[in-house]
Amino acid sequence: MIELRGITKIYRTGSQSLEALRGVSLNIKRGEFISIMGPSGSGKSTLMNIIGCLDTPTAGEYVLDGDRVAGLTFDQLAAVRNRKIGFVFQNFNLLPYATTWENIELPLLFDGRNAKKRKSRIGELLNAVGLYDWRDHRPSELSGGQQQRVALARALANDPPILLADEPTGNLDSKSGEEIMGILSELWKSGRTIVMVTHNDRIASFSQRIILLLDGKVQD
Amino acid sequence: MNLTLPRFFWSEYRKRRKKVSLITFALFWGTLSTLLLMAFGQGLSIQFRVAFSGLGETLIMVYGGQTSLEFEGLSKGRPVFLYPEDIDFLKDRIPEILRIAPESYGFYQVSANGKEINRTVHGTTAEFAVMRTQIPQLGGRFLNADDVAAGRKVAFIGWKVAADLFSDADPIGQKIIINRIPFTVIGVLKKKIQDSMYQGPDADQIYLPFYAYRQIDNRRRLNQIHIQPREAAQSKLIEARIRTLLGRKYRFDEADRYALSFWNTIENAKEGMAIFKGIELFLAIIGVLTLLIGAVGVTNLMYALAKERTKEIGIKLAIGAKRRIIIQQFLLETLFVFAKGTFWGFITAFNVVHLIRLAPINYDSFGIEAYLLRPEFSLRIFFAYLTILSLLVFASGIFPALRASRSNPIESLRYE
Repeated sequence: MIELRGITKIYRTGSQSLEALRGVSLNIKRGEFISIMGPSGSGKSTLMNIIGCLDTPTAGEYVLDGDRVAGLTFDQLAAVRNRKIGFVFQNFNLLPYATTWENIELPLLFDGRNAKKRKSRIGELLNAVGLYDWRDHRPSELSGGQQQRVALARALANDPPILLADEPTGNLDSKSGEEIMGILSELWKSGRTIVMVTHNDRIASFSQRIILLLDGKVQD
Repeated sequence: MNLTLPRFFWSEYRKRRKKVSLITFALFWGTLSTLLLMAFGQGLSIQFRVAFSGLGETLIMVYGGQTSLEFEGLSKGRPVFLYPEDIDFLKDRIPEILRIAPESYGFYQVSANGKEINRTVHGTTAEFAVMRTQIPQLGGRFLNADDVAAGRKVAFIGWKVAADLFSDADPIGQKIIINRIPFTVIGVLKKKIQDSMYQGPDADQIYLPFYAYRQIDNRRRLNQIHIQPREAAQSKLIEARIRTLLGRKYRFDEADRYALSFWNTIENAKEGMAIFKGIELFLAIIGVLTLLIGAVGVTNLMYALAKERTKEIGIKLAIGAKRRIIIQQFLLETLFVFAKGTFWGFITAFNVVHLIRLAPINYDSFGIEAYLLRPEFSLRIFFAYLTILSLLVFASGIFPALRASRSNPIESLRYE
């Protein structure tokens, strides 16, 4: 499903350059639940951004679902992010002025779904994350746990095969964190591929496999 | 047509409209001030034309003069007079003349209704009415051909003469005494603005049929001849023909510039209109420059708003928004702001112009207000304005939109 070969990412600022990833090779099969761990600055988020097609590698090859990502245009990458990948961020990244319903609706709008399909899909997702009664509330009116559930529903809107979660419980209390991990486990069990970045060993223990990154390299 | 996205953009715009209210106000103000500026410019130009036509449209006036060149043994300094028979003489020989009328005048005591005034009294023919914009008020008429042919003792008077002699009473059918001869008033001049005149404004004049006038003034010579060409472009040709024909008749050199003099309103109007077109253009340029400054302001605000929305753009890009969606959203939001600001600016300008036009013009003390109180609001101006503004708004919206669409999703997501 996800194949990374010799991925290198160098950030250049003026005369300085920083090698965030140094020849990372990784294979993630369909239906796997992977945790990426490592200390701050080890390159976890960079790796996650590359897997999520938010960023492109300086060198190396990334094959996602059989397609070489390097050859895709900006808009083709957008289409991949829209249909194949769902994102869950540590700080939720919801649109502050939009309601729960509207936040979940965004990926469906960008995919060009008609109103009827959008309505039925949003209803389904709101029921799944237990927020149907909160559909007209804005993020500022929701708790952290509720906001992350909205973000999860949004990530699942187009039913993507891959879910990327960057510290999904990092901003939550332990009870809300458990709830989110419960939902992620259910999603994995239903066949979704999940890649999660975390610092937390307990959270990582929900996954099948842990990949440890140190100074931009995968540790065996 | 799929309206899902525009509807979504509209709903997002509605939530953000307070933030764009400054831009909306800028567009409202720009529209209002530019449209008013252009309406006043056009009104000024139109009023000038109206005031100029108060004397007459496409009119040439011919006056006798004094020779300044010796001719066929005759000395210079001889007076040249015009006579009634010159009317037919010129009309028969110059086919380019459409209308021609003689005019003689003198200053007389006029009395009626127990009041006495001194006014210029003119003798002329029916053609004079059309050439000199002598439009009668309701219930009256100007002199006609029969009045002239029969030498009827009738008079057409200016509205100020009517007010001075009859106050608010209807002067039609009343008698006025000029040089001890009674004349019946048959019409009163309708109020008009008039910026060019001889012997004072027409409001103060009295017109009699040419042969009736001769009964109070037995001089044979005319003061002037009024001529209207068939086409305005023929005015200089007619002038030249008159110099030649009358030069032969009264024996002066046709090249003698002082033997006859001409008041060619067509040539004057050309110069006047050029000046007013210049003023109109000048005001339009000021309007466009104002708009340009406004457009720079709008662009600046759009950039600031785009910056403020960096994170939102990052989120949208992360969940699959394509570049064109970001561009469309920015452009449509600019369009919404533009439509709202322009609409209210247009409505306000339209009403301001309408209100100003309701103000009365004082025809008796013809002044600057006659030019300023009649701004003209035309759809031509509005559409010209709309075209220029659309281009400027598109230009001010497209650059921030392009920049936003090229955002790096990761950097945008990190933006706080």
